[in-house]
Amino acid sequence: MSYTGKLFRTRHIYDLSKTDDLFASSVRETCSFCYNNCSDYRRILDEAGFSPEKINTIDDLADLPFIPTLYFKHHTLTSVPDRKLIIKATSSGTSGTMSRIGFDLKSLMTGSHMVINVGKYHKLWSIKPTNYIIFGYQPTKTNKTAFSKTAYGFTFFAPARSRTFALEMTDSGYKLNWDRVLKAMEKCSKSRCPMRTIGFPAYTYFLLKDMKAKGIRYKMPKGSLITMGGGWKQFYTEQPDKKEFYRLVKEVLDIDEDHIIEFFGAVEHPILYTDCRCHHFHVPAYGRVIIRDPDTLKPVKNGTIGLVNLISPMVRSTPVVSVMTDDLGVLHDEGCPCGAKSPWLEIIGRVGVADIVTCAAGGEEYLKEGS
Amino acid sequence: MILYNGQIYGTEMQQELLERLPEDLNGFLKTDTKLNIEDVITACDTLAKRVKDGEFDDTVKPFLETFGVSKKQFDDLLYMFSRDGLQKKIDIELPDREETISGFRRKRYPLGILLHIAAGNLDVLPAYSVTEGLLAGNINILKLPMGDSGLSVKLLSEMISISPSLAPFIYVFDVPSTETESIKKLADISDGIAVWGGDAAISAARHFANVNTKIIAWGHKLSFAYCEPDCTDEDLRELARSICITNQTLCSSCQGIFLDTDSDEEADSFGERFFTIFTEVNASSKPADYGMRAKNAINIYNEKLEQHETKSRIFSKDGISVIVKRDSGLELSYMYRSVWIKKLPMDKIHLLHKNKGHLQTASVLTSNIEKRKQISDILANAGVVRITSSGNMSRTVPGEAHDGTYALREYSRIVETEFY
Repeated sequence: MSYTGKLFRTRHIYDLSKTDDLFASSVRETCSFCYNNCSDYRRILDEAGFSPEKINTIDDLADLPFIPTLYFKHHTLTSVPDRKLIIKATSSGTSGTMSRIGFDLKSLMTGSHMVINVGKYHKLWSIKPTNYIIFGYQPTKTNKTAFSKTAYGFTFFAPARSRTFALEMTDSGYKLNWDRVLKAMEKCSKSRCPMRTIGFPAYTYFLLKDMKAKGIRYKMPKGSLITMGGGWKQFYTEQPDKKEFYRLVKEVLDIDEDHIIEFFGAVEHPILYTDCRCHHFHVPAYGRVIIRDPDTLKPVKNGTIGLVNLISPMVRSTPVVSVMTDDLGVLHDEGCPCGAKSPWLEIIGRVGVADIVTCAAGGEEYLKEGS
Repeated sequence: MILYNGQIYGTEMQQELLERLPEDLNGFLKTDTKLNIEDVITACDTLAKRVKDGEFDDTVKPFLETFGVSKKQFDDLLYMFSRDGLQKKIDIELPDREETISGFRRKRYPLGILLHIAAGNLDVLPAYSVTEGLLAGNINILKLPMGDSGLSVKLLSEMISISPSLAPFIYVFDVPSTETESIKKLADISDGIAVWGGDAAISAARHFANVNTKIIAWGHKLSFAYCEPDCTDEDLRELARSICITNQTLCSSCQGIFLDTDSDEEADSFGERFFTIFTEVNASSKPADYGMRAKNAINIYNEKLEQHETKSRIFSKDGISVIVKRDSGLELSYMYRSVWIKKLPMDKIHLLHKNKGHLQTASVLTSNIEKRKQISDILANAGVVRITSSGNMSRTVPGEAHDGTYALREYSRIVETEFY
């Protein structure tokens, strides 16, 4: 079995020291595969004077050249023939352009072990039929965003009794159907089966706020879960304090804080980060995080803010083994009452100062026209 | 918040007030009340003095901090609102003498009702736009930008409390840009629309305005430096300083440098020379915002990955960068201390004309005075509207033209009446 295959079957998902050596070997394996099969990736490593053979220990990962997610927005990189790409996913395109990442069967199979293990650890698997409410797009053949695929995939953790999508495909494109969601919520509250929601945190929050304002209160069946993923995107400034959000969920749906789960991941780094009962995103065995200083790009000490570089050997069909996100974050290693030993990643926000729009920056739209 | 004829209302009153506005304005126009410009000047002058005395420090200090505005620059800005500054502006922009020509009396009148669609890039800008409208004697309707801090209503209502006669000339609404129906209603009753913002905002205004409504577009502009290889280090140092002060965020900020050459080698060595000076100046300046440095770190790294295609030469250190590019097109830089350098021989400057409407300031750096005059002339013909020395690209002076025209003149019309 390959190193990567072994790594994704590990049971020590939040004890990194147990997998450090295996992780380094897996990265070398995936990195070599991409180096040998993707000319653009080979050039990038060659230009940096780096060869996959240089990865021997976990400490060598800091020298592995990373690729910014930005680069994937303008270049399509693959290391397997196009016909082998089973899924071609795109990021949600918050900033206008989308990354295109292809997954082959082997990469997806590797990922499936992770989903099984993480699901077990966080008790996401259930045999009870469940009513799903999805604050996202109804999947169609044309919608390639990773979010729509992930959200749909998520409805298989427990058998689906029903699926209600907030964004429905109509003849004139996607439409937000709040009324339908509200009706479904009411139905769920009367059902004996638990309800699970999945969606962008902002949509979940706005719906709950709206329900609270209208005086709507439900008591959701035992075992119901609120799950969220995809980050706050353009609603970043409206993000409530986490505690306030948990109170709102309890008040409107009578679901306790320990039944609210948030996921973090990206199409360029499809590792399932799942928050613990203390709501920390511990780094799972399938990935490593290096926080880098923006001015020097060198790794910084844990506890220091910097650029978030994510590393994982999961995908071999596209060279996303080490990617630089456009997030700023901190890696914490001060210990967590949940018992997970691995450090946890806190995303502070996106790079740039979104709230200062400058008068020259308006030229950006002009720039697109090409001057 | 809404400001309507001197009264402040909550946003819940918006719909009702919007409905009432056309009738109220018609009623007011019927009274034929003229705005006394002296009252506008008094209001601005008094308010500017109070700002200078620290009464608004709670708002002013964070603003200065965010934009890295020095005390001297802020004093210069305040001077523009002083009696002296405003009088100078009026004298230059509105030579308001009545003329009699061939049996006609020629007189300036305000445009009438002016709708301001303000941009959110500078808190003080919406109120400034209204002030200009007032100076030309107009009734002003202001649509606040998204995320307005409340400063506009605060400043304008202060002005009204100093000069109550301004009240029926100022109406401020907080209509979101998405409510096109409401904005269209405001546009329909206006004689002119002063729109601030990017190409998208201007194009939207052109779309919803009737053909009989004048559009005064204060769009986003791009500025640059034009250098002869013989320019002095001191000139380049001044340029680097102004780049560090404005962080390239203003319309007048230098985005990049066009070099009078068609040699890649010369452009590369000039890039290296400027980078050395830029690094020194940056080291003695207040550091650029952390988040923007982080954003540029990714942009520059990405530029390096694309170097095999772009053939750019990239110099970067300490969060600043100089990218020597191989094309000659004008473009926005990454800003926050990232400068491009491109070849543009003198005989090709006229090609900048394709950026018409987007060109603003160019500084000309050369030791040869004759050549400077020549280059300035070609730049002006290509569409540039301000030509300055390297350190003065973003200097503001009372009475200066704005994007090639005078605002007060744009907010006016000339009426000729025949004697018979």
